Amino acid sequence: MAIRERARQLYARWLNRRLPPARSQQLNQRSVFIFPSSYGFLYLLIVVSLFIGGINYENNLIMALAFLLVSLFVVAILHTFRNLSGVEIRAGGYESGFAGDRGSLEVVLTAADGHPHRALEFRWPGGQGGELSVEPGEEKSLWLTVPLSRRGRIHPGRLLVRSTWPLGWLRAWSLVDLDHRCLAWPRPLPGGDCPSGGGDETEGRRIRVQGSDDFQGLRGYVSGDSPRLVDWKAYARSGDLYTKLFADPAEGWLWLEWERMTGQDAETRLARLSWWVLEMERRRRRYGLRIPGTELAPSLGVDHRREALDSLALYGES
Amino acid sequence: MTRVYQVPHQAFGWLVGGTLLASLPHLWSGPVWLQLSLPLLLGWRVLAHRGRLSLPGRNVRVLLLLGAVLGTFYSHGTILGPEAGTCLLVAAFGLKMLETFRFRDARVVVVLGYFVLATAFLFGQGPLLSLYVIAVMMMLTAALIGLHHPRGVGNAWRHLRLAAVMMFQALPLMVVLFVLVPRIEPLWSLQMDEPDARTGMSDSVSPGDIGRLSESDEVAFRVSFEQGVPEYRERYWRGLVLSRFDGRTWSRADNAAVDAIDYDWFPREPEPPWLHRLREARQGEEYSYQVILERTGRPWLFALSVPFTDGENRNIGMTRDMRLTHQGDVNQRLAYNVRSYPRAARAMDLDERERELNLRLPGDGNPQARERARALRAQAESDHAFAEAVLRWFNEEEFHYTLSPSRLGDEHIDEFLFSTRRGFCEHYASAYAFLMRAAGIPARLVGGYQGGEMNPLGNYMRIHQYDAHAWVEIWLEPAGWVRVDPTAAVAPERIEFGLERALDERGEGRGAAGVFSRWRENPVLRGLGDFTDYVQFAWQNWILAYDRRDQLALFEQWFGGTSPWRVAVALGIMLGIIVLPLALWILVRRPRYGPLQREYHRVVRWLARRGVRPRSGETPRALIGRAAVELPASAEPLRAWGSAFESVAYGADGGNEQAWRELRRAGRALRSPIPGRSRSRPGDGEQAHSADSER
Repeated sequence: MAIRERARQLYARWLNRRLPPARSQQLNQRSVFIFPSSYGFLYLLIVVSLFIGGINYENNLIMALAFLLVSLFVVAILHTFRNLSGVEIRAGGYESGFAGDRGSLEVVLTAADGHPHRALEFRWPGGQGGELSVEPGEEKSLWLTVPLSRRGRIHPGRLLVRSTWPLGWLRAWSLVDLDHRCLAWPRPLPGGDCPSGGGDETEGRRIRVQGSDDFQGLRGYVSGDSPRLVDWKAYARSGDLYTKLFADPAEGWLWLEWERMTGQDAETRLARLSWWVLEMERRRRRYGLRIPGTELAPSLGVDHRREALDSLALYGES
Repeated sequence: MTRVYQVPHQAFGWLVGGTLLASLPHLWSGPVWLQLSLPLLLGWRVLAHRGRLSLPGRNVRVLLLLGAVLGTFYSHGTILGPEAGTCLLVAAFGLKMLETFRFRDARVVVVLGYFVLATAFLFGQGPLLSLYVIAVMMMLTAALIGLHHPRGVGNAWRHLRLAAVMMFQALPLMVVLFVLVPRIEPLWSLQMDEPDARTGMSDSVSPGDIGRLSESDEVAFRVSFEQGVPEYRERYWRGLVLSRFDGRTWSRADNAAVDAIDYDWFPREPEPPWLHRLREARQGEEYSYQVILERTGRPWLFALSVPFTDGENRNIGMTRDMRLTHQGDVNQRLAYNVRSYPRAARAMDLDERERELNLRLPGDGNPQARERARALRAQAESDHAFAEAVLRWFNEEEFHYTLSPSRLGDEHIDEFLFSTRRGFCEHYASAYAFLMRAAGIPARLVGGYQGGEMNPLGNYMRIHQYDAHAWVEIWLEPAGWVRVDPTAAVAPERIEFGLERALDERGEGRGAAGVFSRWRENPVLRGLGDFTDYVQFAWQNWILAYDRRDQLALFEQWFGGTSPWRVAVALGIMLGIIVLPLALWILVRRPRYGPLQREYHRVVRWLARRGVRPRSGETPRALIGRAAVELPASAEPLRAWGSAFESVAYGADGGNEQAWRELRRAGRALRSPIPGRSRSRPGDGEQAHSADSER
């Protein structure tokens, strides 16, 4: 086991030297590896049997065809290699998720060398794969899931880029470190007292927010409803008029505070805070967040929620 | 049926087409059940692809496979061997189509397709078939590209183009491998099944046998001479010698009689005395040539008298009756080198048993002929004079050379000589040899070909089946075996110019074949015929016949030796020379111009042909402006093109379809060979274009 571990480390170090991390990199001879696929071996097996047949029947044309197929294989090496080499891969955006779930990372592809790059397959370790092609001059992007094993800033490992285009006999691949990061929010841990301070009623202030993100549902159109609130997309689909309803946030606000959670370790506190953030959103209560190093003013909504969860995720991370 | 995988549409056409076409050469000659079932299976597949029919279940497929095995066994009597094997392979290949609903299966079908395609070469090796195989291979490769292409954006024709480009790039490497990869001896011996009966000389000659051959236009063999081409009348290609006569048919002497006189010799055997004497007598005239014999399915080889092999092919031996012979039947095209010394024949002696064999006649029959032979011999001073006298008799009396002789009864020779007197070469040869034997002169029939036409393109000679001929050899002291051709006494044109001319002069033709051959007299068609035959010949000579021996000679010549490491190094260097530029081309080459630059450079080339060359640093606008001044006749289309170009290159709506169409149209109008199409509406070339585009 130790030997395997050691070998793995050596390999990782070698990869790091050969393919150092960079937010954007163009694949080249150094970074692309190539080897026949199992289908390629089947093909070569057929070619060899043709060659032997050609020898035994002393049939020059069968032999010539075997040679042509071998040469085609060699040409395919070059084409497969070129299909991967020259493409530029850039780290794009990220979508966070809760620890133990999946996040996703964006990978941006550019055909920087003016050649098309077709049927490229991408996968983060442990994630799901995706396929993409770029034509010369194009830029395309792809979101790929990554598993989030723990809370915090997650380095997803090396991105596997792979292609067997055009003939499938060869597999060219690269393992690039895009220096990409995904945030894993603390996994919500239900329960516990609400670590809140501040006054519900004391400092409360009524603010009616309209047209914000707090969409709740639809009801039938009643004459007099503001045309800004009509769901025109639904009208285009069905021909019926609906009015969009937006929730009013509950009155007042409260503070979720790290300091109020005593007798718990940091991760548990973060997990409970994470749950309370969701809970506040569910109850549509405005909330602020105070954890060491960060203070978020009370608010509500998708952006606020993300900010809150992000700061929980980043607690203690440099 | 749950369809997990659907073969992409762009790949499906090439896949089905490639499969069908790869099997087609086999279907052509294959059993009827295969011919019928393969299109049915593919049709099934196509319908399934369209969703009209579901693919069969496992049980049905197993049943179908069993049926294929039984069918193969029924048609070939076995399921092993090349014919039965490929038949089964093709059937299984078709069945595989019924289950290609997974990506993996589709890919396996393509690789099997390559294999099935290659086996077509077991049954034919012409240049056309090779082109066909290359084309189908391209289709299969295009199918493979389609299978790997990202979904939904493929274009089947582009895939074919890429396949063609890749195969083109593979060609130089293939040539190097073909020429330089060392040929190994067969690992185990494989024998093709007996070929079907073919036209050609059989091992006996009865009246009418050779006449039948005259209807065939097939090439029997080709000969390229290294030195000295014999005159037409000397082109006697001896194939087999027939010493036994039963009153009707001439055939080969039986084995017992043959073995007793140390009949044949193969390389590596000790040389019998007769061969030694023949070798000593190699003097005078000499012909050195290579014969490329089409497959005959028989062991005899054709050559001028007296042939010597170079001993390279150990299966080719020499016989006491001065022929070449092959160990085992010639079941594929065979090339062999020969040196012939016509004068050497006089060194051959006549063994007593051989004399007896060549004098033997049936106990009775044909009394008239025997009587005439005795009478003529009595009048003649010598055997030689008698042989001449019989020829004179044939020549002076009313004997007819014809392809349609009268039927002959039991007293064969008598009827021919004294009543019908109409016959083809074998009738004359047979009667002549009979008369000789009846007069006590050893005589035998020789079967082979006489004639051959040169192909000016490759400087080689072509001998057709219709050149088949039979003549006689008689033993005269002291000359030895002397060739006598009684046909020459009756129809000298046959020997001087060939069958066609001889029949023409008699108002006869060779039936349908004759009509075609008359067409060939047309110089154009004749040239075309010569050309296609030359391609065949070159193909045979350079590609099919390329073997170890040629390869070793080539190594010797190019690399100065044949030691393994020398060959390995040479091969490595050659591969490097081929692969490196290829790699540079594919990997480093910058992509070519974009479509806009292409349009521009097309016009630049057009201008260059008219003497207007771009100066360094000149913008397109400046160039067009200058060109319009220098080429006033094209000024308007040039300006129209210039503005279309600018609107695509710099316009706000640059690159939209309309602007592009305008640019292409302007380019075409500019390059169009009829100047003034746009000048017909003076002053508004632009409008003329848009009017055009609305048509």
